[in-house]
Amino acid sequence: MRRIVITRIVSMFGVLMLLTLAIFLIQNVLPADPVRSYFGRNATAEQLEAKRQELGYDKPIAVQYVNFLGRLVELDLGTSLRTRRPVTTDLADFIPATFELAAASLAIAGVLGVALGLLGTRRGVGTGAVRLVSVMWSSAPTFFVGLLGILLLYRRLGWLPPGGRTSNTLEATSTGFLFFGRLLRFELAGVWDAARHLLMPATVLALGPSVAIGRTLRGSLRDILRDDQVRTARAKGLTERAVLVRHGLRNALGPTLSMAGLQIGLLLAGVIVVEVVFSWPGLGQYLDQSIDRADFPAILGVVMVLGASYVVINTVVDLLQLAADPRLRSQR
Amino acid sequence: MTADSESRPSEPVAAVRDLHLSFDTAHGRVRALRGVSLDLHSGEVLALVGESGSGKSVLSSCLLGLPPESRRTTVSGSVTVAGVDMLHGASAQRRSVRQRLLGAVFQDPLTSLDPTMRIGTQLTERGVSRARALRNLSQAGVPEQPRRVRQWPHELSGGLRQRVMLAMALGADGRLSGPGVDAVFDEEGSPVLIVADEPTTALDVSVQAQVLLLFDQLRREHGCALLLVTHDLGVAASIADRIAVLYAGRLCEVGSARDILTEPRHPYTAGLLHARLELDEAAVPVPISGAPPDPLRLPEGCAFAARCEHSTSICGDSLPELCTDRSGRAFACVNPLAAVPGRAAGKAPAAVGLIAERPGSRAEPVLRIDDVHKSFRIPGSRRDRLYAVAGVSLSVPEGGSLAIVGESGCGKTTLLRMACGLLEPDRGSVHWTDGLRPQLIFQDAGSSLTPWLSIGAQVAERLRGEGSRRSRRSAAAELLERVGLDRRAAKSLPRQLSGGQRQRAAIARALASAPRLLVCDEPVSALDASLSLRILEMLAEIRDELKLAILMVTHDLAAARHVAEEVLVMYLGRVVEAAPAYQLFRDPRHPYTRGLRAASPTREPGRLAPTLRGEPPTAVGEPAGCAFAGRCPDVEPSCRERPQVLELLGDDPRRQVACQVAVRAVPA
Repeated sequence: MRRIVITRIVSMFGVLMLLTLAIFLIQNVLPADPVRSYFGRNATAEQLEAKRQELGYDKPIAVQYVNFLGRLVELDLGTSLRTRRPVTTDLADFIPATFELAAASLAIAGVLGVALGLLGTRRGVGTGAVRLVSVMWSSAPTFFVGLLGILLLYRRLGWLPPGGRTSNTLEATSTGFLFFGRLLRFELAGVWDAARHLLMPATVLALGPSVAIGRTLRGSLRDILRDDQVRTARAKGLTERAVLVRHGLRNALGPTLSMAGLQIGLLLAGVIVVEVVFSWPGLGQYLDQSIDRADFPAILGVVMVLGASYVVINTVVDLLQLAADPRLRSQR
Repeated sequence: MTADSESRPSEPVAAVRDLHLSFDTAHGRVRALRGVSLDLHSGEVLALVGESGSGKSVLSSCLLGLPPESRRTTVSGSVTVAGVDMLHGASAQRRSVRQRLLGAVFQDPLTSLDPTMRIGTQLTERGVSRARALRNLSQAGVPEQPRRVRQWPHELSGGLRQRVMLAMALGADGRLSGPGVDAVFDEEGSPVLIVADEPTTALDVSVQAQVLLLFDQLRREHGCALLLVTHDLGVAASIADRIAVLYAGRLCEVGSARDILTEPRHPYTAGLLHARLELDEAAVPVPISGAPPDPLRLPEGCAFAARCEHSTSICGDSLPELCTDRSGRAFACVNPLAAVPGRAAGKAPAAVGLIAERPGSRAEPVLRIDDVHKSFRIPGSRRDRLYAVAGVSLSVPEGGSLAIVGESGCGKTTLLRMACGLLEPDRGSVHWTDGLRPQLIFQDAGSSLTPWLSIGAQVAERLRGEGSRRSRRSAAAELLERVGLDRRAAKSLPRQLSGGQRQRAAIARALASAPRLLVCDEPVSALDASLSLRILEMLAEIRDELKLAILMVTHDLAAARHVAEEVLVMYLGRVVEAAPAYQLFRDPRHPYTRGLRAASPTREPGRLAPTLRGEPPTAVGEPAGCAFAGRCPDVEPSCRERPQVLELLGDDPRRQVACQVAVRAVPA
């Protein structure tokens, strides 16, 4: 068991190394010259050469990669061409907002997915309708659903704000964990405000993943509820609820978790579109603006953060699966 | 209700009255039960026997108050357990009966336990205290209970898992206080009824005998009733007091085990008895002709009439009712078998020649295996290896047949996979003459056929590259006819066929590539007696017609006796005895073979088979002495010191045994 966990974690670091290598190589292939962009147009050839040597760009590529890794460990991802600030500083500003959005979205996807999955095990006219609607919302493009949501819930009904993280204009550009911070400080009105702002973007982002999670859960639950072990549980005189939760859901957890892991990848990609639609001051908007200006250090920084989160999250999912299914623990 | 059921002794524990159950399938309405009435008294073992599809599992699930949840299931009649209506009663009440008064044991111990829950939790989940759970485990014959409750199901052997199921059925402590029930409930808190649906079918013979012994003990010690659903009359014979025979959803005969087994009155009961593969040489099995009726189109009259040798013109007119005659026998037949005293059930009318009793073939071997070894890495262990096969040699001559017999874990499947070239041996060699690889037949034909391809297409697929599409199709149809399927089967999908038909289709597919050798892994162990017999006979037929050799692996000694000329008995990766089939079962020499033979159920009423002690250990590491020493009744101290090797017994080179005690016992 312990060996399996260690192997998984070691292999996670392996994948992360590959990610850094990929990003490093992309950086090298790109036409942008970091030294030239550092000095701007007016630099002399001597200045450029000196800086190149100082930064180690004249060294063989392997040495450059090692240096790149070294800088990475020091949290140095270069300087953004657009904001003129270190990319890591920028990232630190925008990560909390995206983290809050992704976490809220994940929670909604989980709850909605489990609800859809449980509903699917029942027979009736209603479940068919729910399935139809859920397929429709999950197949519509995210930006479209987002715009529709704004039109309906903001313009028409005025229930939810159209975008941003907060109604307080002083805090409008604030960075940091707005929702969690207010929650910890117990500012109830503030929490409510932040939650209202989170709700629409997070839900729009969660729709696709929730349907995928719901379908996987429904499929495995249906199989499991026909299994011998469920017949045993019923024969023991357990209540239907205990049968469903303790034996049904517990056994359906494995496949559902792996689907959830895959969906988190999609969710991280969807974050960018949703942030733009809802003017959410997070990584997505930062990336959007950086792409406009061909700000490669910034773009690669965002890619690195999103890629690394995907790898880490999937390792966590792997470990959760080990916890969910004892049979996996004794293999190999 | 409470007052009635304050157990008057004559009151049945469970009563089924005129039970009808039908449900919809994609092809039409199935009438699974058509008027069944039965009583079960405490301390009684009632065996419910019948072929698959007879409705016996539906009946047992109705007793648990869990009728099948199919589309538009309709139930009429009544099922009461301890005075509670298990079909129409309040669901909370039925649930508390299940929780407190009923125990259930199902066929497949591998799938009947929740893989994600520890054994202990699965036991206590029912509302049983930890202490009681431990006691139940020990009563069910599970050793080292405190360790077991912390284990997961996948860490236990099949036999142990079935014992855990049994322990789960063994009742709770304290008095019962469910809504509406506070009836028959003994001081011990034992269940009043255990419903066991094919509880030993998935187990090895030695474990089967142990579990049956346990059932017998439980009903003696706790006086609970047992409904034993089985397709094997031998299992029924060993512990049943009464036997009820079910056919097409109706009871055709009910009576004491002795009456049913020695003097059946209903022709179907007699047919079941005669179809059973027996180790006893005097018994020559005869299959029941035809197939069970299509459940969607049941005839108006007796459902068995079409297969019955005694049927008369009136049989098809109306449903025969279960009536009791003057001698007290209950059967549903207008033209029953005569009550001839002393008529032995074993004397069958027509005798088909025993397949195995032919002189050993001296033809060229089509398969030769020389001293193969195979070991596997053990999960989680660096040094220890599992020695699955440790030095086995054999050869199968052209047109000959060889059976390998042994319990699960003896290495027979590993050997078989090496014989087919699916696994490389660590040491030793496997030769096929002509280099033609053997074709494989599996136990579960259902999962070895592709579900979305028609049978005809699957057979024709093996002929690819030979002739035109039309000629391939007609060749496939011919093959299907050869294995006894009609031409229409070519168009059907595997799930539209019955178990026996699927196995025939799998054999037809294997024959398509014209192999010299057919390798069969438990080909009939999932089938009813009559069906198994017909499949085995069909295998023997094609063997003779096509000069095909057969290598069969089975845990069923009787099946081996009917197909093979030679038999090898394996234990922990080694051959412990080899002999021509007729000799091996007449005169087994190795203590293990003798134990297996004794543990095999026969149809002798009330014969509880003596059991081999324990279960086979796992073959980790090389044992110093004889691997069987730990379970052997004849063990001597020197047995544990040196390994036992195959030695000749007498003149016949085919007769060998790996036991010094057995060799010494032979008069020189």
